[in-house]
Amino acid sequence: MDHFPTNWGRPRNDMFDAYGTYPIHQRPDNRPKDTFADSVQRTQQPIVTGTSVLAIKFKDGIMMAADNLASYGSLARFKDVQRLHPVGRYTVIGAGGDMSDFQHIQHILEEVQIAESTQQDGHELGPVEIHEYMSQVMYARRSKLDPLWNSLLIGGFKDGKRFLSYVDLLGTTYSASTLATGFGAYIAQPLLRKAVEGHEDDLTAEQAQNILEYCMRVLFYRDARSLDKYQIATITAEGVNISGSLKLQTSWDFAENIRGYGAQTQ
Amino acid sequence: MNSLIQRFAGSSSGIELQKRNATVVDDDGELSDVMWGSMAGFGSLAKGVPTFTVPSVPDPAAFLRLHTDDHADPSCRIKIQHGTTTLAFRYQGGVIVAVDSRATAGNYIASGTVKKVIEINPYLLGTMAGGAADCQFWETYLGMHCRLHELRNHERISVSAASKYLSNLVYSYKGMGLSMGTMICGWDKTGPAIFYVDSDGTRLRGDLFSVGSGSTFAYGVLDQGYRWDLTDEEAQELGRRSIYAAGHRDAFSGNSCNLYHVKERGWEFIGNYDINKLHYDGPGNGQGYGYEVRVEGKTSAVAA
Amino acid sequence: MSSFNPYTQNGGTILAIAGADFSVVAGDTRQSEGYNIQTRYAPKVFRLTDRAVLAVNGFAADGNMFVKKVKQRLEWYRHAHAKDMPLRSIARLIQTMLYSRRFFPYYVYNILGGIEEDGSGAVYSFDPVGSYERETCRAAGPAQSLLQPFLDNQIYFKNQQPAPGMSHPTHLPLQAVLALVIDSFTSATERHIEVGDGLEMYIILGKGRGLQGLEGVKGVQELTISEDGERIFVVRRELKKD
Repeated sequence: MDHFPTNWGRPRNDMFDAYGTYPIHQRPDNRPKDTFADSVQRTQQPIVTGTSVLAIKFKDGIMMAADNLASYGSLARFKDVQRLHPVGRYTVIGAGGDMSDFQHIQHILEEVQIAESTQQDGHELGPVEIHEYMSQVMYARRSKLDPLWNSLLIGGFKDGKRFLSYVDLLGTTYSASTLATGFGAYIAQPLLRKAVEGHEDDLTAEQAQNILEYCMRVLFYRDARSLDKYQIATITAEGVNISGSLKLQTSWDFAENIRGYGAQTQ
Repeated sequence: MNSLIQRFAGSSSGIELQKRNATVVDDDGELSDVMWGSMAGFGSLAKGVPTFTVPSVPDPAAFLRLHTDDHADPSCRIKIQHGTTTLAFRYQGGVIVAVDSRATAGNYIASGTVKKVIEINPYLLGTMAGGAADCQFWETYLGMHCRLHELRNHERISVSAASKYLSNLVYSYKGMGLSMGTMICGWDKTGPAIFYVDSDGTRLRGDLFSVGSGSTFAYGVLDQGYRWDLTDEEAQELGRRSIYAAGHRDAFSGNSCNLYHVKERGWEFIGNYDINKLHYDGPGNGQGYGYEVRVEGKTSAVAA
Repeated sequence: MSSFNPYTQNGGTILAIAGADFSVVAGDTRQSEGYNIQTRYAPKVFRLTDRAVLAVNGFAADGNMFVKKVKQRLEWYRHAHAKDMPLRSIARLIQTMLYSRRFFPYYVYNILGGIEEDGSGAVYSFDPVGSYERETCRAAGPAQSLLQPFLDNQIYFKNQQPAPGMSHPTHLPLQAVLALVIDSFTSATERHIEVGDGLEMYIILGKGRGLQGLEGVKGVQELTISEDGERIFVVRRELKKD
């Protein structure tokens, strides 16, 4: 019995044995042990990662941008990775976070599409369905404490309606007319919101592309895990179009005028 | 080896999709046929016993402690409500049960109107100290089983049996993080009875108990005033006064006192007394419990 | 070993007040994580039946999933019993659903508001593992410590003396309650970073009560179809976006 009244009515902490009454009562773990299977690890930290993904709603649909880099810690390991992936005729999914988990997501989306098409009932999966499916999968994996370590943006255009939404490794979802993951949430989101909020129905494709290019440039300057090679996905009534790799024009001349790093004083 | 094969072998898309859907359909909401028709109302009780989702981590109890135990770590995020001072004692006229009504979540007073006496059935009462949800849920469940006992045995359940049912149940969850310190009070064939049951598996019969963070204060008043041959009014007054003492001095107790009296024919709710009012005005006959005794005769005014 | 924390906090605040024959359940629409505003419109208040509305706050993914599960159980009930679940039964259902996750809690603070079977307005508030209580008013979320004391004073008239010869009303009229809700949220927005952007109020009116109290309120949208049973209205307002 616990003789300290301030402990009564509070969850008991069996780890701390106040009276030295060993052995401390532990629930015996009598589950059959399968050491080979048990040693299979769960994703607890992302290894090969992608950085921000940006997306906005514009007059004719959705535009999404992501660079072509998959980093291995601080090493810029894979510089031609496609982080924007089309799903069917109406949707694009963009991912930041662990790239192997993203490849797995691409695989399961492929299977979902196959299963849907074999129904042959005239229905096709649109961005709303893909988002709902992904949010259920991500939440279920989080509830098994074995998450798919990604932040996903799902954007699309179907039946005359634009759709843009976010799902992450915890199963958190939200929707807005401008979205950005990772570093983009801090650096690009204010720029996107300023340019787009209120003008979603007036923004032309060219203007949308310019805003995204501008933000990708700022991100390249400031995000240490980014690349100046990126792609833009446009989803409109005409369908999905993922551009080839675009190069960012950057200017590093200002570096010559910097004074004061380290030992340099002139 | 089996589990590896299950997870990684098999490549047809139909099987893959089924496996994928198995991750999506979670464990506490089986999409089985029992969910339809007349079993639909039973939910997690459809199998007869409550089933719980446990996180798949090596040490689920440590996981729960990490996220909900605000005693060990006040900065934990999930604040569960805790109840705090309750007391019950047996005397010639039955059982007096007196509780406060404050529930705290961390340092925030989540509510001042919590009902800490759970009316299991018309002749059994349970008190709530510890985790509010644990007490509410398990004592409601106990009520269900007391009714089943009546139907099966054509006789009311004894307080001893009811408290044993509860303590055995809670013992099966020992070590998992439940927090409950309750007193099952009633009047059965053996007379008035009180059993203290807690989430460690303790079950004790006794004449006088007080549970919760304010119990030491309540014991002070209770022990000096307790006799077997109290009258009904004296007993009720003793219960009230003890809860007042605890509410006054313990930060986690207070707001109001709920007083119950268990008699042979069942329990009776005596009243709800605001502890602040008890301090200044007393239970209704003028003398405040705390005010007059401290200020009587003390005044700077010159006697007329 | 497990460095993965399955929970996060998404901010926001919810509030519910019960009147004599109506209930108001309100929540702001901001969803945030840390110092980031994730979106300015993420609803936290949901209609369950024609007489019950549930507001959820805490971890948004758990909240949204929990609402989905409650709605599913209510649909099963409707199919099995050919009627809607009464409000106090929904409250008990929410307790058992939350408690079934006692060892891996839903990080959600729920407030259920609506009309009881006897026509009175009711508010039930829950803690994350299912303990619940019927009350007249309750605020939950990061700004609860700003709102609840205000409501204690204005709704329960705590620490207030009535005018001589008068007594405090037991229930407030709908107009007064709506004004209190709006004032609560504008004040919370001023003083708490996680509250703002927009306010959504659900008003549930008892059967046959008529619409008094709603005249003059701008932007009222009805969610129920018929005029004979309980009726639910939504009112949206802007809140400061900084």
